[in-house]
Amino acid sequence: MLSLSTALLMVTLPCLAHAQDTVPPDADELKALEERVTRLETAPAKTFLSQFNPAMGLALDFALLDRDDKADFQFRAAEINLEASVDPFVKGWAIVNGSEGGVEVEEAALETTSLPWNLTVRGGRLFASFGRFPHYHGHELPVIETPNSIDTFVNGESRGEGLEVSYLFPTDFYLSATAGVFDQIGAENDRLDIAVARPFEDFTYLGRLNAGADLGDDHSLELGISEAWTPKRTMVEDATVTGSPFATATRKGTWRALTGLDLTYRYHPSSGGLYKGVVWGTEVFVNNEQRFDPATRLPTDRVRAFSGYSYAWIKLGRRWRPGLMGDLTEDLDSARKLTKTYTAFLSCDVTEYQRLRLSFSRREDNVPGTLVSNTIGLQWTGVLGYHVHGFRDR
Amino acid sequence: MKKLASPFVAAVLLLSSLPAWAAKPLLIVATVPELADIAARIGGERVRVESLAKGKEDIHQVVMRPSFVAKLNKADAAVYLGLSIEDSFLTGLLAASANPALRSDPIMQCSGPGCIDCSQGMSVLERPETLNRAEGDIHPQGNPHYNLDPESGARIARNIASGLSRIDPANAALYEKGLKEYLSELEPKVRELKARAAPLKGVKAVSYHKDVAYLGRFTGLDFIATVELKPGVAPTPTHLASLVAVMKEQGVRLIVREQQYEAKTVDWLAERTGAKVAVIGTMSGSLPGTRTYLGLCEANLKALLAAAGKE
Ligand SMILES: [Zn+2]
Repeated sequence: MLSLSTALLMVTLPCLAHAQDTVPPDADELKALEERVTRLETAPAKTFLSQFNPAMGLALDFALLDRDDKADFQFRAAEINLEASVDPFVKGWAIVNGSEGGVEVEEAALETTSLPWNLTVRGGRLFASFGRFPHYHGHELPVIETPNSIDTFVNGESRGEGLEVSYLFPTDFYLSATAGVFDQIGAENDRLDIAVARPFEDFTYLGRLNAGADLGDDHSLELGISEAWTPKRTMVEDATVTGSPFATATRKGTWRALTGLDLTYRYHPSSGGLYKGVVWGTEVFVNNEQRFDPATRLPTDRVRAFSGYSYAWIKLGRRWRPGLMGDLTEDLDSARKLTKTYTAFLSCDVTEYQRLRLSFSRREDNVPGTLVSNTIGLQWTGVLGYHVHGFRDR
Repeated sequence: MKKLASPFVAAVLLLSSLPAWAAKPLLIVATVPELADIAARIGGERVRVESLAKGKEDIHQVVMRPSFVAKLNKADAAVYLGLSIEDSFLTGLLAASANPALRSDPIMQCSGPGCIDCSQGMSVLERPETLNRAEGDIHPQGNPHYNLDPESGARIARNIASGLSRIDPANAALYEKGLKEYLSELEPKVRELKARAAPLKGVKAVSYHKDVAYLGRFTGLDFIATVELKPGVAPTPTHLASLVAVMKEQGVRLIVREQQYEAKTVDWLAERTGAKVAVIGTMSGSLPGTRTYLGLCEANLKALLAAAGKE
């Protein structure tokens, strides 16, 4: 068999011989060359047991919040992100977040990468594709605190345990449809114990349609509509209080439908130099539900409540991004209770991986009487290691 | 037997050659316009080529547009520079584009039969010995801006041709022919450019971003520093002050500004040091007359020669 070194010499020799203005190498030089090539050829391959370890990143997020002259240093996130292909068919990731509230697995999911017919299936614990900001991790939002409308209507991030199937339409613009089924949606949703088995009508069913199109070279528009439908809800009854002779869990004529509508406009001039742009985003949520009243042991009247936010930020250059956000949130049970939040923020991207943010928020609760609270926040965020910008959460 | 065989062979030959001209052209999506240009030259009628970036962007900061997902979904091949240069957009787009031939991979960027990585076999400059973001954040696999060296063109073209032949073996001969034709135009032109670049040898220069290693190798320009503090890290006042001192001390008379970077800092630096500014493009389509790869190479060389006073 021809060794690599011999082959290399055979290739280089004629070249060297034909090269003009160069003296042919002498035997010593050739011998040295052969030795070098042999060394390379026989060098052990650099392998180690952790070769297939997933890509790893860590996001750190801290803030100082001063609300009505009472301040708090918040340890918001030390978020470890692990991701890799499992095999040629599936990739997997886990996001484990430690904060002052404890350690939580935010996401642990598998996603197909090679299904035909434009299908993608993801399952596990994941941020369900409901709305836009509900599936953002906290440090990726344009503001320090999650908008009140999302906290109240989605119960924090759209986290859920379940399964989602997405279909990308073969159109010239971006159009995707997602259907999913989850134990329930909402990271802080404590209406149900997610570790307890339940009938399928108690699950939350998700549907989302997301479209996006370029408007010329510099503009784009994205529109999404989402629905999270929970046909029935199991109420855990305390037998000592209700005196119910039935099991502790009784199904009642209750249901919930949460609708989300989101619109995002982006201006990124491809010819206007670097790091310039405007993003304007709005999301509206409508909650319709019939609850269970433990006092009357009957479903309550249907309640409907609205909420939403709108924000815009401008990228002024490589570093600075000022912006404004307004949020209106009705109380889920009483539409007359309204909370308004206005936020002004200024982000400074020190580098791609380090960001400082200053923000001022004014919150007005209208019932009972108008309550006003002001919050000044300073946030410091850094990303270590692996970090990728997904298309969905961009 | 012979009588029977020849019509049979003829029929088989005819049938096997049918898809070659009856099939729809392959859709090739390139990340940058110069790769689209070269792929179009090699693939000819057999391919339809589109580019994601238009040319004026910073390759490290290309914005993911909704139409890019739709394009990559239908693509038979993705042609990219590799070496993680497209990290900010390609991986994310592929993850959303549901194309089994082009799977997103957190480590390889693109994995699947349609991926054509143009950096294959490229001799990579400035490979870091250790990786540490304290040294900047965007060239982890070595300097990925090899497209600025006209001498990389042949390797890029060969990689594209072999990728196309792998994806569409029935037309391999056609791609080989396209490659030969392109190289016969490219190679003499590159030799001509090399000769024209001769007066730049040893001329000291400063660039904005650390993307000129290959351009320096081709032209002989001696790039001694960057306006940016580190790759991807904007200049700080202290860095600029020391840069002025270094430029004066070493007599640097040439600043290279890639067109996507802001002119203000560079003009300030030029004023302080008396150096001249050459504006170059880092992608085809970035400046007038740079629609093709060769056009980009020539325009950049002209800008450098003019600013260095070596026309
Ligand atoms: Zn670069």
